[in-house]
Amino acid sequence: MAVGQDLLARGRTAVRWPFHRRPLPLAVIGAAGLCVAILAAVGLGSVTVAPGDTLAILAHRLFLLDLPRTWSPTAETIVWDLRLPRALEAAVVGLGLAVAGTTFQGLLRNPLADPYVLGTASGAALGAAIAVLLPVRVEILGFRLLQLLAFVGAIAAVTLVYRLSRVTGGSPLTSLLLTGYALGSLLAAALAMAMYLSGAALRQIFSYLLGSFDNASWSELGGALPIILIASSLILLRSRSLNGLLLGEDAAAHLGVDVRRERAILLGLASLITAAAVSVSGLIGFVGLVIPHLVRMLVGPNARVVLPLAAIGGAILMIVADLVARTLGEIPVGVITAVIGAPFFLVLLRRAQRGYEL
Amino acid sequence: MSAARSPSPEPEPDVPALPDSRSTVRPSLGRAALVAAVGLVLAACTGAATPPPTIPPDATGALVPAATATVPPSASPAPAFPISLTDDEGAAVALPREPQKIVSLTPAETEVLFAIGAGDRVVGKVEDPAKFPPEADPVPVVGTFSGVDVEKIVGLGTDLVIAGGSGGTQPEAIQKLRSLKIPVLVVYAPDVATVYHDIELTGDAVGESDAAGALVERMKADFDEVAAATSGVARPRVFYETGDQPSIYGIADDSVYAQMIGLAGGTPITTGSATNWEMPTEKLITADPQLIILGDSAYGVTADAVARRAGWAAITAVKNRAIVPIDDIPVTRPGPRLGDGLRLLVAAIHPELHLTVPSQNPSQNP
Repeated sequence: MAVGQDLLARGRTAVRWPFHRRPLPLAVIGAAGLCVAILAAVGLGSVTVAPGDTLAILAHRLFLLDLPRTWSPTAETIVWDLRLPRALEAAVVGLGLAVAGTTFQGLLRNPLADPYVLGTASGAALGAAIAVLLPVRVEILGFRLLQLLAFVGAIAAVTLVYRLSRVTGGSPLTSLLLTGYALGSLLAAALAMAMYLSGAALRQIFSYLLGSFDNASWSELGGALPIILIASSLILLRSRSLNGLLLGEDAAAHLGVDVRRERAILLGLASLITAAAVSVSGLIGFVGLVIPHLVRMLVGPNARVVLPLAAIGGAILMIVADLVARTLGEIPVGVITAVIGAPFFLVLLRRAQRGYEL
Repeated sequence: MSAARSPSPEPEPDVPALPDSRSTVRPSLGRAALVAAVGLVLAACTGAATPPPTIPPDATGALVPAATATVPPSASPAPAFPISLTDDEGAAVALPREPQKIVSLTPAETEVLFAIGAGDRVVGKVEDPAKFPPEADPVPVVGTFSGVDVEKIVGLGTDLVIAGGSGGTQPEAIQKLRSLKIPVLVVYAPDVATVYHDIELTGDAVGESDAAGALVERMKADFDEVAAATSGVARPRVFYETGDQPSIYGIADDSVYAQMIGLAGGTPITTGSATNWEMPTEKLITADPQLIILGDSAYGVTADAVARRAGWAAITAVKNRAIVPIDDIPVTRPGPRLGDGLRLLVAAIHPELHLTVPSQNPSQNP
């Protein structure tokens, strides 16, 4: 079970991770932080709803408590139909991107890897752009064409990258990364052309590229949440393989990991998460890149510990970023994730003296 | 996704769809870095898929019959609520009772609502850098170029939202509002006749049909007067510049600009495409405008700057220094001041006619 962890730790005894032996307190702090973030996101907004009313509405709707109605129907709509699904969607997307980022970084053994590295982002963006340009309006179970095509585009792009990388020469990891880069560039060119031709629809494509939770709803959440949670749990169950792969392919094989199979499965799961996340929220950067590093700096590289903590961290960062974005107004959420995350990350990077490695 | 050209400050040419050039483009400048980062060639892409107008741009005489044909008689009695209306995107909008809390998501509709006496019921509006009419100033802003604050609209207890079609208001926001059972009337005027129609539609929606009908009658009379004054005049070739960065932008075929210039007694020089607003210099020199109107003068484009452009000295308008600035908001905002805009155009194209030009508050430059 812990074989990967021991191996990883032994090689780096000089490095100290503040919470290396104490991941549980960190998880408790994280969970508490997540609850606070969700409550803040539900309680705050451009319309003032009394905190008591907010809590009463939540209790009434969540736990079906028969409370005297002190609140207006408007407040209930705002809290229940607008803010809560939005906060939960931000949480789920942040969680998914952080888990997918951790997985991609481990799989590719590349600190610059993020959920979008293997063409998912360009594929999703192109799918979204095509959906915007198509003059049809489809809606299946509350999902618009844009979300469906973004999802399909992301999955198609990463599948193509994986297939192509297997027929090219060289080491599998390098060819995967390079194929992802090449196909991503090609798709980005197609996207640029679609944007150039899009006329008045440009703004829609552009706002997809920036990412936002403006359209969050219960039905959107109902589509993305199961995919992201189930796939994330499956990745967590395979964290031993991820630890093995982090040591290198030979070492992993010696540890009894079926390298090709495990890599394909992890890649598939992480891509599925990414596709579900970007289809509802657009392309929000930074969370999937930085949260995994941040967690590793605190607790060390063991994937069993990193994955759940990154999930919590990603959810918190995304909720807070969205809350800031919508209360300040006019600021894309991706900008906020970077503005909040980057300085924090740099401080930690400075503290993690000598030799922070993946 | 490589960074390409920087965003340009030229007016958004998709005028009928979007509130107006200043309100739509200026805020985007604040996002210049982001815009560049995604390689957004904003300027080049603003050409809209404008539906062809029902009236050819230069068919001055045809305007009124066409307009009356598409617009119900304005003397119809005020409709009793509940009422069901069909908006410009074909959606059925049911209004159970007369709306008392109205949100306007296009500057033109804000002007219409105030002009037909429903201004005191407007509880929220889209940002309007031109700040017109002044009485709308205290109304809270619930939307900008980049987004609509759905929560605020819900919080205001809104019972009618009037939004812009063809991307003027974010389609997702319209969908979201409708999913929350707030009626949304979407208007989109690609030509003058539809502007009349939209004013009457708005009147029906807010229970001010008579006032809306009277407003349309006044506007039609104004257009008729201009049509009479410009009938038989020589029709100079006019280039209406909508932007100068990163390249020169003019007006697309069949756009409301082209129609307005035709009505004002000019021959519009268009880009030759219904969606592309970019005007290659070679093409412009070949078309040889006799007059250049600077719709982008609010962004600091001057006649001197135009005259200094490479190759432009060959253009007749430049040789004769027939280069005039214009306040392009009345010209392009599909609202009650369209007649004023037409008169501004006539003053630019045919100053010899000495047509009365409105002396009302000019739009404030941002």
